[in-house]
Amino acid sequence: MKEAPKITRILASEEFTHRFSRRTILLGSAVGVISGGLLLAGCSTSKSPKAGELSSAAPKPSPIESKLNMYNWAQYDDPNLVTAFTSAFGPAVQIDVYSSNEEMIAKLSAAKGTSGYDLVIPSGTYIPQMIKNGLLEKFDKTQLPNLAKVELALLGRSWDPTNDYSICKDWGTTGYMYDTKVIKRPMLTWQDFIDAAQHEASGKVSVLDSPPEVAAIYFWAKGFYWATEVQAELDAAEKFLVNDFASHIKAFDSYPGIKLAQGGYALSELWNGDARQGLLASKNPERYKWVLPTPRTELWMDNWAIAAGAKNPVAAHAWINFILDPVNAFTDMQYTGYNTGSMGNEEKAKTAKLEYLDLIFFTPAQIATMDTGEINSAQSRLVEMYSKTKAKAG
Amino acid sequence: MRDWVRPLFGMWAIAVFLFLFAPIVAIVVFSFNSGRSLEIWDGAGLSAYVSFLSNGVLHSAIRTSIYAAIGSAIIATLFGSLAGIVLARRPGKWQIFFVALLALVLVTPEIVSAIALLIWDVRLGESWSFFTNGLIRLWIGHSLFSTAVVTLIIRARMSGIDESLEEAAADLYAPPFRRFRQVTLPLMFPAVLAGLLLSFSLSLDDTIISTFVSVAGSTPWPVYVFSAVRTVLRPEIAAVSTVMFLLTLFAVGVVALVLRQSGSNARNITKTLTGEYGGNNRA
Amino acid sequence: MLWILFYSFGYKPDLYHSIATDRLSLGQYKLAASNTFFQTFMGTLRISLTGTALCFLIGFPFAYWLSVRVPPSRRPIFLALILIPFWTNFLVRTIGWRILLAPSGIFAGVLHFLGLHSTALEVLDTRGAVQLGVVYNYLPLMILPLYVALDRLDPGLREASKDLGAGRVRTLFKVTIPLVSPGIIAGLLLVFIPLSGDFITATVLGGAKGNMAGRMIYDQFLIAQNWALGSAMAVVLILLIAAVVLFFGSIAIIGRHIIRYRRRVELAIAL
Repeated sequence: MKEAPKITRILASEEFTHRFSRRTILLGSAVGVISGGLLLAGCSTSKSPKAGELSSAAPKPSPIESKLNMYNWAQYDDPNLVTAFTSAFGPAVQIDVYSSNEEMIAKLSAAKGTSGYDLVIPSGTYIPQMIKNGLLEKFDKTQLPNLAKVELALLGRSWDPTNDYSICKDWGTTGYMYDTKVIKRPMLTWQDFIDAAQHEASGKVSVLDSPPEVAAIYFWAKGFYWATEVQAELDAAEKFLVNDFASHIKAFDSYPGIKLAQGGYALSELWNGDARQGLLASKNPERYKWVLPTPRTELWMDNWAIAAGAKNPVAAHAWINFILDPVNAFTDMQYTGYNTGSMGNEEKAKTAKLEYLDLIFFTPAQIATMDTGEINSAQSRLVEMYSKTKAKAG
Repeated sequence: MRDWVRPLFGMWAIAVFLFLFAPIVAIVVFSFNSGRSLEIWDGAGLSAYVSFLSNGVLHSAIRTSIYAAIGSAIIATLFGSLAGIVLARRPGKWQIFFVALLALVLVTPEIVSAIALLIWDVRLGESWSFFTNGLIRLWIGHSLFSTAVVTLIIRARMSGIDESLEEAAADLYAPPFRRFRQVTLPLMFPAVLAGLLLSFSLSLDDTIISTFVSVAGSTPWPVYVFSAVRTVLRPEIAAVSTVMFLLTLFAVGVVALVLRQSGSNARNITKTLTGEYGGNNRA
Repeated sequence: MLWILFYSFGYKPDLYHSIATDRLSLGQYKLAASNTFFQTFMGTLRISLTGTALCFLIGFPFAYWLSVRVPPSRRPIFLALILIPFWTNFLVRTIGWRILLAPSGIFAGVLHFLGLHSTALEVLDTRGAVQLGVVYNYLPLMILPLYVALDRLDPGLREASKDLGAGRVRTLFKVTIPLVSPGIIAGLLLVFIPLSGDFITATVLGGAKGNMAGRMIYDQFLIAQNWALGSAMAVVLILLIAAVVLFFGSIAIIGRHIIRYRRRVELAIAL
């Protein structure tokens, strides 16, 4: 009881700094960077003159289509940016969401180029196969001058060495978060996750709604490579998930952060940005703890890519160029909590005093424990395993 | 002896009404939630309606729903009326077969119809791009079920009307088309209007078939809401639900009024709006 | 619909295709009927049978009240009140329950106030929540046909039964229920069949625990994109629904014959 007023004060001041810093950035960018005006245009009502200004910053290819259909992860772009884009360039943006790469790929390939989507955001490892199966369209790089603003380390990754089809949207990792009122012991490893799930957190556990990352819990805990193709390891994983683990799962949820922070779960496997959103939405964030588990975990990178058969390619390029603009990229990072990989993000974030920086940026030592994994022959096995786990959980 | 039963029934009824209305009231109340997450009350405010008004994606979802509803209502009314007239006026040997087919459409779990439609759409879409158009898919999917409903409504209305009126018109040398326009149509008009509005509302609210057949760029609003369920529920979902709830109620209210004006009693209105003429596996 | 049957013999070739039918086999059925998935089918049947029974137990007294106790002039108002939830979007109604049942939501508050329950409410994402949700969602479909049937019933018949000395319970079981049995059967079917194929309630309220067959089919078609397995599951579901309907149908028919036969015997003895 004694502490209550102190906590409120801290929260209030935090909120204030947050708001204050955001406004400073907006002001600063409006003066300094021309394209910052775009952001203001989206937020304020006087949009037309600002929008005109900005077309000089980003080349406005014409004719631009009136629509842009995005197939995206949920809550993955700041809605204010979407509004700003529409008021500056014209296309109305329609966003559908998916929970896993498998779902997105399946929908694209089932539609055979008639899915109607223009933009998709596949994780890196899925890209080579998507290119091979003709699901993606090549970029016209002349429409993407802002490619130059992306951190060098994130360009030319193994799945698309020349960035002809894809460019980093953001990257992050997979860990877990737990309610310290339910789990009182220290939690460090994936084995801890499994133990807690089978004991004190049983029935209050959520795992990602994504086949490889469900099986990976077992592989990481056992110290296997998480994209293993070894039959015996896959069999062991299936046996473990279906017989020993499924019954403890409360939900398959790719976005559990907010629900966890409201008492809906006690232990959730989640991505770092989602954990951060949960903490930001929580009234008592100190009760929940994020863990970047050892020994190893995932490094994923999501990439902008244009779907084959896109009906609005000019709008799609315009969007990618728009979102790669450092000011917009930073705004998007503030919203999602995933590092958008634009040059200077970390410095800006420190100056702006964003909360939970350790959930956005990782040290080289931490990054060294992360693997991107790969898509291989085990893929369909993982999906089957996951369907069985789902059935067994109910 | 008698008296302890009466209040018991009354209390039961009140409990049932509370049960039925609780979640609807919750949605309407929480549409005024100013928080970030739908389920957590964080002060009253209109912010959900404001963000609904500025959410272009949601607008286009509602627009899609309304286009889909108009199109499928017209298709269903057209085919349903014709089928209804034929069934009522010229019953033949195949009538049993036809009624059985209607019954089959009405009792199939909607998810089964939905996957059947999806399979057809994808197969036909390979040869005719016509079937890859989201709106057309929705028209076909939604009108399938509503056509059956409209057929049954029209049939019930027409079998209640004496054919001698039309015969009288024929005796007075009215040509067939004029006979239809001046005699048959006014007689069946209330039922046609009811069928039209009913299939409009059915389509506006359809979730299951839409989830399966819709394509990007033409997402009807229940599909939008459903994808929000799988991710994060925000108060604007409650705001859009409240608005659509009022719209549907309005359409259904008009149906009841039309039927009432045309002299149907309460029982027939109920039958039309619900159980007996389908509406059984609507969702 | 025949395509579903055809596809159910196919298989999923790879990540990039949802169906192939160049090799046909019963493999998908073997998988669909394997222990893992069959458990969900059985769970679905349990939920839908319990749900149908609960709908009837809640709906019958209510429909009886509406058609017998309420004066005819006021009935349309109450009917309209039943129709409002019925015409509210299914999905929206179900989301309403998420608000009510949230761990620190309204119900938790009420229970806490009454001193019945003090910690966070843990109803969401369980089988219980799904059970509640389906009873709620399909209750109007039970009430309406029951009401129509009861409304048609001549009140004179009940009075005649009373005049002949039958008690209230006896009148209910020997006169009212047999006479409205078509309405009862319609209500049971209208609730049971769509309930068994429902996937929305389970998705919104069920989490991982309250899985239902409809949701497995949905997952296979739209998420795992294994249309062959999804089709096989749909066929299994239809067969199970048909089996249950036939089973209870034949029990009802046999039951009626036995009762008639016994009545005849009683009558003969009395004579």
